Amino acid sequence: MWPELISFATLNALFMVTNEVYSTEYDVIIIGGGATGAGTARDCALRGLKVLLVERNDYSTGATGRNHGLMHSGARYAVTDGESASECISENMILRRIARHCVEETDGLFITLPEDDLGYQRTFVEACQRAGIRADVIDPAEARVLEPAVNPELTGAVRIPDASIDPFRLTVANLLDARLHGAETLNYHEVEGMIINQNRVEGVKLLNKRNGEHVEVRGHVVVNACGIWGQRIAEMAGVKISMFPARGALLIFGHRVNNMVINRCRKPANADILVPDDTVCVIGTTSDRIPIETVDDMRVTREEVDVLLREGVKIAPSLATTRIIRAYAGVRPLVASDDDPSGRSISRGIVCLDHAQRDGLEGLITITGGKMMTYRLMGEIATNAVCAKLGNTAPCVTATQPLPGSEEDAPSQSDMTKRYSFGQRAAIGRHGSLAARIEKDNDIDNALVCECEGVTVGEIKYAVNQLHVHNLVNLRRRTRVGMGTCQGKLCSCRAASLLGELNHDVRGAQEDLAAFLDERWKGMRPVAWGDTLREAQLTAAIYEGLCGLDMAVDRTGKEDVQ
Amino acid sequence: MRMDTVIMGGGLSGLVCGIALAKRGQRVAIVTTGQSTLLFNGGSMELLGCVDGKAVTSPVDAVAALPEEHPYRKIGAERIADLAGQAKSLLSDAGIQMEGTATANHWRVTPMGVAKPAWLTLKSHLRIDDLDKLPCKRLALMCVKGFFDEPNGMLANGLREMGFDVEMIEFTTDDITALRRSPSEMRASSLAKHLLSNSSLQRVADEINRHAGNADVVLLPNVLADEDSYETLQSMVNKPLRQVATLPPAVAGNRMQSLLRHYFQMLGGTYLMGDTAVGGTLDGARLVSITTAKLGDMPLKADEFVLATGSFISRGLVADYERVYEPILDLDVDADADREQWTRFGILEPQAYSRYGVKTDGDLRCIKQGKTIHNLRAIGSVLSGHDAIKMGDGTGVSLLTALAATQSILEK
Repeated sequence: MWPELISFATLNALFMVTNEVYSTEYDVIIIGGGATGAGTARDCALRGLKVLLVERNDYSTGATGRNHGLMHSGARYAVTDGESASECISENMILRRIARHCVEETDGLFITLPEDDLGYQRTFVEACQRAGIRADVIDPAEARVLEPAVNPELTGAVRIPDASIDPFRLTVANLLDARLHGAETLNYHEVEGMIINQNRVEGVKLLNKRNGEHVEVRGHVVVNACGIWGQRIAEMAGVKISMFPARGALLIFGHRVNNMVINRCRKPANADILVPDDTVCVIGTTSDRIPIETVDDMRVTREEVDVLLREGVKIAPSLATTRIIRAYAGVRPLVASDDDPSGRSISRGIVCLDHAQRDGLEGLITITGGKMMTYRLMGEIATNAVCAKLGNTAPCVTATQPLPGSEEDAPSQSDMTKRYSFGQRAAIGRHGSLAARIEKDNDIDNALVCECEGVTVGEIKYAVNQLHVHNLVNLRRRTRVGMGTCQGKLCSCRAASLLGELNHDVRGAQEDLAAFLDERWKGMRPVAWGDTLREAQLTAAIYEGLCGLDMAVDRTGKEDVQ
Repeated sequence: MRMDTVIMGGGLSGLVCGIALAKRGQRVAIVTTGQSTLLFNGGSMELLGCVDGKAVTSPVDAVAALPEEHPYRKIGAERIADLAGQAKSLLSDAGIQMEGTATANHWRVTPMGVAKPAWLTLKSHLRIDDLDKLPCKRLALMCVKGFFDEPNGMLANGLREMGFDVEMIEFTTDDITALRRSPSEMRASSLAKHLLSNSSLQRVADEINRHAGNADVVLLPNVLADEDSYETLQSMVNKPLRQVATLPPAVAGNRMQSLLRHYFQMLGGTYLMGDTAVGGTLDGARLVSITTAKLGDMPLKADEFVLATGSFISRGLVADYERVYEPILDLDVDADADREQWTRFGILEPQAYSRYGVKTDGDLRCIKQGKTIHNLRAIGSVLSGHDAIKMGDGTGVSLLTALAATQSILEK
């Protein structure tokens, strides 16, 4: 009765994690396990190339996992950047088909507030129309009916096809499909250097961060898909890319205040988008240039929190009294145009550099700039460049071929309620048709580990066995365990205990649990007042007071897990 | 309504204060939301567990070295042993039978298998006096199938590191299997409700007797509702049986809360449950009355008042975007003004906020805008200057300050 798509036998063969057996030579090595790298890996694999993807941390730990989760209609860019707007709406329509299980079709509003110029609305609507984005001016009263959370003082509203998308799920779906088509993907493998031979990149030197081994792998083409960290990778190859890290901070609120994406109808500015994501909502972002040396420090400052709150409340007044559960920040990989060495002219669009043409270095392509929203197109552009080098003429099919999890029509809501438990429905929501692989045949597998997000024992087993889960942070990204309103208060212990059993490492599970709580705390600390501080004290009462976790592990000098 | 004493907060400290006053014939009312942090208590009381990161051997001896702002110092180091004795017998009167002494900490075993210093531990729970001289060698750890609120692997590992031989035995019974069909029912509190009858307990006993043949002591997660259930099961099992705390909701803590409440009510105390104090009327240096959310314009008047509203968890303290404050009367608090100082980066590091609380004078009397309120005392976690998490002094401060405040009130 479950949407079975691929037989279990095939799957078990494909997903048995056979890591760390490196082939000697690949057609293409992709560096970076964010959406862009995953999309490129999928495209390359679908065109028949022998692919290796390497990621230094977990998948989607960079900008992919640190944005709004907004599936832009492109309207935001319509006035200032028509090209980006067109790319967005075109990709928006594609993702609704190929990544249905990652998308929630919320629609969006662009609202004008009393402090904004209502005249801008006309400019905005015209620009949307030019870019091919449906933009319907609606009465402010109607907007209030459609979206009761909106600031009631709004003076204008435009409805546009924004949506909400889960970037973690999207990235995993791309990786899964890449693997289904023969690609190898390795997380926790960091590139330490390039293998260069007479102006040609021939491979990469890797550090396996799990066991400390050094490995060399060879490929005909190397794709640098590392976002802001691409500058460092380019330097290893002796070429220069001038990146301009633009940091954006966001706040997650404890429940879903709004059902539609709400934007401010004005020139893009700080904290002007509120996105509903699953059970929560997210306001963002700030935008600050930061030095490239600081891109690994993702701690949110007090000033950023202040701006986000001040502006967020203007969009939806109820945010003032809604608990904030986390603050986080990501870095946009903006790139200076090559014809402007001063760096003043910065592109927000997609940048694909063939270093053979640009720098006389064969075998290296950099794909950067762009947005999470256009990851597929970036993958297509990068793959086109790879194929041109390899003489591969296979066409790109990623715009039409659904991702695993989105192949079939999902059962209707009423069907779902009748047939499946809360945990099973939540899993289908997260994994689409892949949820068929989750063990559910006995009452132990159906037991809930995370009540907020409906994660079952079976789903955790599935994630450990098939989705490259080595620790709780990995598990959170694959299943949302610990991401709900309680922020992992009890479920993280249950999950740690299960992981300890599955991995036969109890002591490691405690260290992992402490690291996981620390990672959660990193996002809570900037907003640690009100109920968030209460939750922190409650967590301390349970994990330290009751359980003595602080006495079981030593966290001094430990690196952050990612 | 006029009372001798009105207590705001009905957790451990509020109830113990109320009981001690009611025993001496006072008319006492407790205003409470009905929630208590005893829900996170695994069956032990701590007087003083750690000082400067080191385990305390004798709490009574270690008190003298505490900083002056610590509530124990305000009470007076020399009174600690006496008050601790009173607390233990008050708990016993309420039906909470605990073992331990204030002059020598023992060790309780946490759900994660960590030994933590404790002052009192329930008789039905695992307690180790000396880690160098274990009371027994072979433990049978009974693991309830499908119950994930006891991290059995961690518990077993910790016990093995202490030197025990631990055999993990997974078991289920018909009652437990039936409960498991609902995916969210496998919590300690639900198990406790379903393991009340003799026949249910007998089925558990059968499993224990069948599998735990080699053990010196049998360990069970704390899923037995009360002392009676424990005694019944113990009588059916041919080995000594001890419980180990689980993740919340903690059955033992919950049981302690309800025993204290019943005892208070039995002594004639008024327990205004589901209500909360929202403000008060001051006349110079005295609090005349308090208002509550439910009683509205009918204020509660009393000669004496006690603030036992707890820390941030219980909303006895509130932090907003700008400051830390006491929400009922806006009493003076000891807290950093700068939000950046409230917390530190590592979650397991000592956190400044956990020492925050209301300011008091040497007699635990509250202060507002620099002036002492003569008939309002603060007790328990709402007090500043201690750290339940890092010093292991939370329950001790609750019990001892409650009794100290009681004495002050009665001596007037």
